[in-house]
Amino acid sequence: MTLPFFPTDLFDDDRAELLDIVRRVGLAPEQKFILGERTARFEAAIRDSVGAADAVACGSGTSALTLVLRAMDVGAGDEVIVPAFGCAPLAAAPALLGATPVFADIDPWTMVVDPAEVARLVTPRTKVIMPAHMFSVMADMPELRRIATDAGVRLLEDSAVAQGGTLAGTPAGMWGDAGVYSFVQVKTFGMPGEGGMVVTRDAGLGSTVRMLRNHGQDGKSRFVYHRIGYNSRFDEIMAEFQLYRLPTLPQRLERRARIGEYYTGRFAELAGCGVLAPPPARDGRCYYVYSLLCERRDELREHLAARGIGSHVYYPAPLPRQPAFAPYTRPGDAWPAAELAARRTLAIPIYPHLTDVQVERIADAVCRFAKEP
Amino acid sequence: MPPEVGTLSVSFFNQSATFERTWAGTRRHILDVIENGKYSHGAKVAELESALAGYTGARFVVGVNSGTDALVLLLRAAGLEPGGEVVVPAFSFGASATSVVLAGGRPVFADIEPDGYGVDPAAVAAAVGERTRFVMPTHLFSRLADIDGVLDVARRLDLTVVEDSAEAIGMRHRGTHAGLFGAGGVLSFFPTKTLGALGDAGAVLTDDARIAATADALRHHGRFGVTIADFPAISTATGLPGVNSKMDDLQAAVLLAKLTTLDSDIARRAELASRYGEALAGVAGVRKLPVHRPDSVFYVYVVEVDSRDELAAHLSARGVETEIYYPTPLHLQPCFDGLGYRKGEFPNAESACRHTLALPLYPDMPADDCDRVYDAIRGFYHGRRG
Repeated sequence: MTLPFFPTDLFDDDRAELLDIVRRVGLAPEQKFILGERTARFEAAIRDSVGAADAVACGSGTSALTLVLRAMDVGAGDEVIVPAFGCAPLAAAPALLGATPVFADIDPWTMVVDPAEVARLVTPRTKVIMPAHMFSVMADMPELRRIATDAGVRLLEDSAVAQGGTLAGTPAGMWGDAGVYSFVQVKTFGMPGEGGMVVTRDAGLGSTVRMLRNHGQDGKSRFVYHRIGYNSRFDEIMAEFQLYRLPTLPQRLERRARIGEYYTGRFAELAGCGVLAPPPARDGRCYYVYSLLCERRDELREHLAARGIGSHVYYPAPLPRQPAFAPYTRPGDAWPAAELAARRTLAIPIYPHLTDVQVERIADAVCRFAKEP
Repeated sequence: MPPEVGTLSVSFFNQSATFERTWAGTRRHILDVIENGKYSHGAKVAELESALAGYTGARFVVGVNSGTDALVLLLRAAGLEPGGEVVVPAFSFGASATSVVLAGGRPVFADIEPDGYGVDPAAVAAAVGERTRFVMPTHLFSRLADIDGVLDVARRLDLTVVEDSAEAIGMRHRGTHAGLFGAGGVLSFFPTKTLGALGDAGAVLTDDARIAATADALRHHGRFGVTIADFPAISTATGLPGVNSKMDDLQAAVLLAKLTTLDSDIARRAELASRYGEALAGVAGVRKLPVHRPDSVFYVYVVEVDSRDELAAHLSARGVETEIYYPTPLHLQPCFDGLGYRKGEFPNAESACRHTLALPLYPDMPADDCDRVYDAIRGFYHGRRG
């Protein structure tokens, strides 16, 4: 692929800085490599940028979800309402705590969870509602907030893909009782390693997550375990790298948004030809992945590949159709919009270092395909 | 307490010199990672897995995010059922028992042997109940647990042996590396470990293809098939509820560089341990010193002493850093309140918690530092007698 979907040159320009950071951390007098002073500064920077009460860096976005669910005391007998279409941790995180993931169907266009479906699935056993922002569209958080409040349940916002987005003035991650970010390299604030973060307005929840991420220790007495905890920590190399790249994050987010807007403008005329772009707007958007809905999806994928353009299918099957999670479904359950999305969705490149010429080339290729008889 | 004026501090651990002398290799491996462009669960992690398979003799090595994660994934992959019991020592790092809970099981504690701190095979046999399927000995500090004794009990009582060998890289017995006596084991690459990264990392070791395949899937969201060094695998269908426990390729780069000097580092640790042993033998107040055995690898140098907390404070005041592994036995930890264990139940574990003290030890530690530690210890006990 001349234009790969997953670029391998994300940090090529940061080579010297990355090597320098590894040396600085490796030789630092304090010889503290995990959850040190750099991690604390990174947490403070993110906390202040979104107006959270606490921001807790941890091992991954997936782990962040688990830590919050544990902090919310989710366990056996509890139900967690999750989207039927999305990444595996949405279902695996509650399942591994002994709870039941309950799958809600999605909006057929935006592919985020349908609030009406969520409301329909609330039962007395519901403990948490966990919507996820998908690709470039944030979930309908005002409506989901209302549903959660009415039901008296917690709202956990899976904002792993949406760091940098805002909806009606509120940053992604700050609509729920807690939100999460993922820093794995492909994400909007990706880095050269695994890591994640919990953000919350609830200081109590934040301090419980702090305890759970480091073996249930209280940060004062080593080797005394107050809770069954995890090893889900953040290292100093990554913290320093993120602090170094934080000032330029807005530029990269803006570049992603511009590319997304350009695509959406170009593809507006394709709706009648079997290729549907996401709804145009800035509010409630974060261009992590740009996903189209295509009637002849696999043909488009081949068409692009033949022109050296990589694409990717997130996700080939709805969560409840996957072997790991099928046991949590009941006879008669159906997710028609999720099924359709799994057959039609195709993501095309949107990383910020694409040039205008490359973006035009990708858009041209999609348009040519759609307009073919 | 701040060090007294005029004293030079003795670090408990410092890998700066080790880092510096392995930097050329680390740099070369990091440049590979940048060139390759996949920064976790990538080609450098696969290269480390092969190198560790060579070093340990394991058929399969599965790189993960920490030793703790490795224990959880090993227990799940080895078939621990929900509610299944695992016998673990009452004296260890917390993850030796919390990993059982995270894997859906229930820890059952057994006392340790007073020498070596490994679980007592007779105590294991006594702890086995109807739902007990596993025993997980921990190899602590500088030697293996009585692995032959544990294997013997396991054979008699039909238990699967998995090893918490997080601290045990380099420890071998009858030609077999720690972690490979039973169904599988783990390694931790926490920075202070014998083979330490600059962040968290760990691995599962096993000779069992099925356990390896399951642990491999579980670390990458339960996705089957080959996922390492493959970007599109982030959307493959999931066969099992898994986790994200992918290792960073930058950590693999650091580890590959340090692995090349591991054996000489282990030898240097043994020299420093001998120096301590010769100096401390016969010092009043020092109750127990580690012995040198064929399986010894001095990850940490743990002694047992009288008036341990006072000695630690005395050393701290003289700029000597020490650690207490471990101040509280596992059966008395707040997180296991619900299991109903009582104080006094495991006397060897409780005694170890009162008397053990770990002294500074790392491969590039100056020999003078050893002597300074010894002088300060001797000074403490002399002062008390006088």
